[in-house]
Amino acid sequence: MKQYTYFPGCAMASTGKPIQASIDAVCKVLDIELKELEDWTCCGCPGESINELSATAIATRNLALAEKFQLDMVTACSCCYRNLLAAHVTYTEDPRIREQVKKALAATDLEYKGTLRVRNLVDIFVNDIGLDVIASKVQRKLNGMKVANYYGCHQTRPYGPDDFEFPVWQDQVTEALGAETVFFPLKAQCCGGTQLFSNKEMIYKLLYKILDNVEEHGGKCISSTLCPLCFTNLDANQGRIKNRDGKKFDMPVLALTQLMGIAFGLSPKDVGLNKNISPALKAVRPYLKSTAQEVLK
Amino acid sequence: METETIKEAKTFVDEVAAEPGGEKINECIQCGVCSGSCPTVEWWQYPPRKIIAMIRAGKRDMVLSSTSAFNCVTCYSCMVRCPRNINPTQLIHAVEAIAEREGYKPKTPTLTLHRGLRDAMKQGRVWEFSLAMLFYFKTSLLEGIKMMPVAWDLISRGLMPLLPPKRTKKGGQEVTAIMKAVEAMQKSGGAK
Repeated sequence: MKQYTYFPGCAMASTGKPIQASIDAVCKVLDIELKELEDWTCCGCPGESINELSATAIATRNLALAEKFQLDMVTACSCCYRNLLAAHVTYTEDPRIREQVKKALAATDLEYKGTLRVRNLVDIFVNDIGLDVIASKVQRKLNGMKVANYYGCHQTRPYGPDDFEFPVWQDQVTEALGAETVFFPLKAQCCGGTQLFSNKEMIYKLLYKILDNVEEHGGKCISSTLCPLCFTNLDANQGRIKNRDGKKFDMPVLALTQLMGIAFGLSPKDVGLNKNISPALKAVRPYLKSTAQEVLK
Repeated sequence: METETIKEAKTFVDEVAAEPGGEKINECIQCGVCSGSCPTVEWWQYPPRKIIAMIRAGKRDMVLSSTSAFNCVTCYSCMVRCPRNINPTQLIHAVEAIAEREGYKPKTPTLTLHRGLRDAMKQGRVWEFSLAMLFYFKTSLLEGIKMMPVAWDLISRGLMPLLPPKRTKKGGQEVTAIMKAVEAMQKSGGAK
């Protein structure tokens, strides 16, 4: 049993519900215990572009809360991951910012010592659990499934530790599940995030580029990063973007953990697949009958 | 002393260099990798490389009243590729922060969005439904109506709860107190 402090982030309770369901289910199979951080608040990411210092200070509040437990803090949302890690890095490396953040935190009775390790859930899967363990839990091999792994920005940029331009960890996980991975150059291009509200045309063009690139390289479904923003942008907006033939995109989008759950023999409902807006079930249906019990049913 | 340098800053480039994220602006070699890497560059009135050049040329008003910086989606493509490690992403946000502090109002709904996001944090956890409603009421109801199909897909699946998220009073109060403390520091000139 591996234990971590878990920082879900605001979006996991709303648009990220299917991802959260699959994370819970998959972590149970992999014997990972995620202890939700008590009284966590927003990571600070939403205010980052307008006021850097206040975003850092709010993130540091969460870091200070988590530090007490002396466990690594794991988050699945890429935005939370980047902002919490950025706060940790600037706090420990920039004395000027540290003093200012300390002053701001004096408004509460918290203090951050700078000893916490902030990590991404995919990092845990690959480096702490191991690909061989993941492969050993597979009950439905996803043979012949052509999966395009989409990483988004903040899972790897700017802090890594996976590659900035062509990350590989998600590909390694999906290969361990028996699926075939498809390389496409825009695997770490931006989905546009929250600007979907204010600059729709721009975001639709970014999403078009990603979806078109997946189709062009032969991807039959997208295994998305665990970030609720990337996932929802790709999942919910396909009906409003036209592909090269002038038709609407119809690409199944699954979060990485949903795909893992299906391969581990869990039911689609267990991993929240019934809540996906894109035709995600279509991609996994051929594999659902491959365990003995299901054939008997 | 730090406060003095900020007060004495005469040129725009010094002002940006005093802002967190803007420190390395003088090391830029104008290679243009940032503009070339930017996924949204076609929407920028002045692309990132040009903004840096304009800051150094002292075009304060032009830069701060432009909508350019608001097209940044914070993807960090420019940052990881910059050969001089100047972190253009953070630099662009520094420009946005100065514009916000000085009351510039570039005509873009993204300004309203960023302010809305900042205010949404004050409750401790973000409530997307109210964030979206407030945003469309403040900018354009027509755009809000156009987004109804997406919203319905999410709401009908329970992916955009109409009620606020679980959050504690203490968390919200602490976040608000932290944000107030930061703003007070920035107003007094002790921090940027």
